[in-house]
Amino acid sequence: MSDLLENVLLPVASEEDARTSARALTGHDYGTVTVVHVVEKADGAPDKAGVEQREQAAEEMFEAARAVLGDVETDVLYGSDVAETIFDAAAERNSSAIVVTPRGGNRFVQLITGDVALHLVTDTDRPVVVLPDDETDTDPPDTDE
Amino acid sequence: MSDGELAKDIGPLAALTIGVGTMIGAGIFVLPRTAISQAGSFAIVAFTVGGAIALLTAFSASELGTAMPKSGGAYYYVNHALGPMFGSIAGWANWLGLAFASAFYMVGFGQYIQQIFGLSTAVGVGPISLDPVKLIALGGAALFIAVNYIGAKETGRLQNVIVVILVGILAVFTIYGGLQADPSNLPPTAGFSDTMAVTGIIFVSYLGFVQITSVAEEIQNPGVNLPRAVIGSVLLVTAIYALVLLTMAAAVEPGFINGLPTEQIAVVEVARILLGPVGAIAMLLGGLLATASSANASILASSRINFAMGRDGIVSESLNEIHPRFATPYRSIAVTGGLILLFIAAGTVETLASMGSVLHLIIYGLLNVGLIVMREGEPAEYDPDYTVPLYPVVPILGTLTSLGLIVFLPPVAIGLSGALVVGAVLWYFVYARSRATKEGILSQFILSRSDEMPDAAVNAATGVQPDGGNYRVMVPLANPEHETDLITLASAVAKQRGGTVVATHIVSVPDQTALAGAAERADEIDETSERLLASAKEDAKTFGVDVETRTIISHKSFEAIFDAAKSHDADLVVMGWGPDSHGSPGRAESAMDELTEAVPCDFLVMRDRGFDPSRILLPTAGGPDSDLTASIAKLLQAEYDSEVTLLNVADEGERDDAEAFLEAWADEHGLADATLRIETGDVETAIESAAEDATLLFVGATEEGLLRRLVGGSIVLDVVDDVECTVVLGEKHRHRGLLERLF
Repeated sequence: MSDLLENVLLPVASEEDARTSARALTGHDYGTVTVVHVVEKADGAPDKAGVEQREQAAEEMFEAARAVLGDVETDVLYGSDVAETIFDAAAERNSSAIVVTPRGGNRFVQLITGDVALHLVTDTDRPVVVLPDDETDTDPPDTDE
Repeated sequence: MSDGELAKDIGPLAALTIGVGTMIGAGIFVLPRTAISQAGSFAIVAFTVGGAIALLTAFSASELGTAMPKSGGAYYYVNHALGPMFGSIAGWANWLGLAFASAFYMVGFGQYIQQIFGLSTAVGVGPISLDPVKLIALGGAALFIAVNYIGAKETGRLQNVIVVILVGILAVFTIYGGLQADPSNLPPTAGFSDTMAVTGIIFVSYLGFVQITSVAEEIQNPGVNLPRAVIGSVLLVTAIYALVLLTMAAAVEPGFINGLPTEQIAVVEVARILLGPVGAIAMLLGGLLATASSANASILASSRINFAMGRDGIVSESLNEIHPRFATPYRSIAVTGGLILLFIAAGTVETLASMGSVLHLIIYGLLNVGLIVMREGEPAEYDPDYTVPLYPVVPILGTLTSLGLIVFLPPVAIGLSGALVVGAVLWYFVYARSRATKEGILSQFILSRSDEMPDAAVNAATGVQPDGGNYRVMVPLANPEHETDLITLASAVAKQRGGTVVATHIVSVPDQTALAGAAERADEIDETSERLLASAKEDAKTFGVDVETRTIISHKSFEAIFDAAKSHDADLVVMGWGPDSHGSPGRAESAMDELTEAVPCDFLVMRDRGFDPSRILLPTAGGPDSDLTASIAKLLQAEYDSEVTLLNVADEGERDDAEAFLEAWADEHGLADATLRIETGDVETAIESAAEDATLLFVGATEEGLLRRLVGGSIVLDVVDDVECTVVLGEKHRHRGLLERLF
């Protein structure tokens, strides 16, 4: 096992994302995993969806991740800046790396939703590992680990 | 700060602005002309009365909000207190009421845009001519729906700024107006019914405060901030409205407002006189901001209500899917948006406003009733930080004034709303009853006191209870000694079926004791009940199944079991029976109706000599009742890995036939791995000798109504008494015709 994936923080944004990211991670040697979902807060105003509703959705994401990774630690985080909240969580847990899988989407969608992945990569203080989604990767390059 | 606190980021001011921002909308910017022309200077009274009615409900909403800071607000409280039938009414009324109100706000928005850009002629496309106001309203609504569909956290913060600007504009307006006010300008006053009619129309200006409770879970320190925001926003808004109306009535010459051309907006024209063009522009801007923020807040709130309704099974959970990328409840917003567009296209300003008002008044009425039920029912977990003043006067007045004001609204709106209420009740019975998971405090209260309450109330309460659509195993408990064994059997079955155990303490009192007298011993009964049901809960918990508990006081205890099984929609009853169980066998009255009645659902009657499912003996000669015992044996086998022996007693010389039958039967019932045993001779002797090796004997009733007679004591089965292991008798419910199933 490389030290890089010794203590992974795996942020997930949707049930599909949880499945994809978890599946991508299983292709590698890794140590412990903490799956987290950030409930984006409006910071002093009503959120776009109720907190209970978002927590319920997070639970479904964790279920999807557990279905692939087994019993892993999970946590719901709250913050108005998704990327910052993930960094704080990684610092708190002393994570060796933050693991994400690309979610695609065109420029317009990224513009209106804010590109969290880009923010993660550009402002990070620790390794961010971007793993390809195994399923969509129809022609995987033969690389040696 | 803990994570739970991080989720709560709405401070006291932001909470207040949710209420103020939602309320200050099209109501005050569009309706003053109607109000003044119909009620004269009593328009001020109409707005004040509206505020007073809203305030009464605001007290109740505050108490409920601090007791239950949950997503969904008013709907949640009504559903929790009064049960899912009223929950269905409140949910639909709240959801559609918000859609109607949003449509009204957007029409107001359309009027302001039209004023600003001076569009006045109708746009004609062929024979269809569309009012430009409606076109703008449709466009504006589509925009705000899209904003919420995509979800922008910035809109929330913008709301706070908008509210401050709005209050500022209106404050300047009233101060200037106050300086130029002259009492001689006041138009004549109107009579009571005109004033009340205007109150009904303008009540749409007071729909926002309950929305604060729908985000209660996000408010910091809700125990303090929620009541302050709810009550404070109503007081603030009422004061603003009264002052604005006073200004409009007293600062301009009488007849000015009535004399305005219809396309002009009264508030804007009064501002133009008082403050010049700047005043008119500020007022136009204010109208735009106010209507937009009201609509935006209402669309946001409606998805919370959908979520809460979905969680309780009143609507499909699929409505509340969260968008994978936008993280918004996009389906709920799309459906609400569709309704808003439809309402804008179909309704007039007056219809939209009055529909919004009537539907909200229905919820306010139910909300106040809900508060009374919570107080009287005293569920253990009800512990509000804030309590209404002068209980029960305030919630009673709140109920009466809210429902009473409906009378003064246009008949069309009352009729349509009545139809919606009927529709919501039908919806509950046709769609939601089998799916709803929550029982209201009201029906728990009535059913737990079945015998103190009038029969009609009890029947009504059981008749509308949700059945949850899942497998319900009722366990009547009387003797604490057998509680654990009965609950264990029931929980094992419920666990395998993914169902619920309903532990019911049947308190039997002698006929000589009036039930009212029994109620005097209520404390004593309560204590026994509590202990018995608590240990039942514990026992069932070890299986991880859901448990509900009930207490029933009755004269004839096993009759009560049959009735309770029917009224609680039990699928299976697991009861104990023995010399010291329910009722004394052989009582004359017990035999009365035995001939006509079979069991209302599947029944297992346990003669308990210790529950040990390791070696199960199941004698069978086929038939529906041994189908039931076979399925239970199979469930126990799955749970406990039991050894199952099937026994058939055949005549001498028919052993081969018997074996073939038993093999086929075992196969058919998924018990192919069971040991097969064929005996000959007397059936009872054969069973008794086979039972010597068994720990648990299952006996299927051989005929319909057998169990009833057995428990009633009119027949005796020797085998039950002669064997040494625990005996479980099963009788299957025979499905009858549709009519009989219904009643």
